[in-house]
Amino acid sequence: MINNLCYISGEKNKKMNKEQTIIELKAIIKPYIANNEAFENLTEETDFIADLKINSANLVDVVLDIEEKYNIIIDNESMEKMLTVKAAMAIIEEKLAARD
Amino acid sequence: MIGNDVIDLSVARLESNWQRPGFLNKIFSVKEQFYIETAKDQEQMVWKLWSQKEAAYKIFNRETGTRVFNPIQFECSIDTSVFGKVNFKDKIFFTKTLIDNDKIYTIAVTDPKHFSAILELKQDHKIFKKEGLPFIRKEELGFDYPISVTHHGKFWQAAMLDQIL
Repeated sequence: MINNLCYISGEKNKKMNKEQTIIELKAIIKPYIANNEAFENLTEETDFIADLKINSANLVDVVLDIEEKYNIIIDNESMEKMLTVKAAMAIIEEKLAARD
Repeated sequence: MIGNDVIDLSVARLESNWQRPGFLNKIFSVKEQFYIETAKDQEQMVWKLWSQKEAAYKIFNRETGTRVFNPIQFECSIDTSVFGKVNFKDKIFFTKTLIDNDKIYTIAVTDPKHFSAILELKQDHKIFKKEGLPFIRKEELGFDYPISVTHHGKFWQAAMLDQIL
């Protein structure tokens, strides 16, 4: 298994991480969504408020849940942009990179 | 310009746990947290401040066409039990909040003179959206009035400014 993992190229590894992050993110936001269809068809472009109808107070919970899950701190500047799946993934990636 | 926001406390109680560690720190400044700590009804103060922020944000969003999620920087002050302000960077919004049992309703305007020009609309108005923002059409005047609509739980409110100021 460890050997197999070594063969995964950087690019492929990155793609796999991305897919993994989307799965994890979906689990985090699921309790707060009010539009199931948009949730089932979630892509990177999905908007938390406009598409998933997450209420803005619950977006704070999403931020806190992400902080807990990844052991990162999402500052104001980052939170300001956290309106889409794509933005959330970029912030997670950035904060994880800064932490390591 | 006008922005409004209504909160149904009975629903907010189910949807959110404002006592969750970290929650208040993410959205409220030190000054706002002092308002909460010293309030007789802390839960009511949390959601009152939140509705002030939301109502002010609606004006900001409409005026600038920008979306941000930066509640802590929309900083509230409380002047009386009804009137307050919200500051965001160089902007200032004036708010009026009415509380009735489970209902917290804030209207924000950009000029305190506009408080006397607020018209509350009933649901029978033909409301339509342009680029995601609500308007009503006055056929006889051939003009679309920007309005602000809010709903939460069992409450629905729509408001506009009387344009003949």
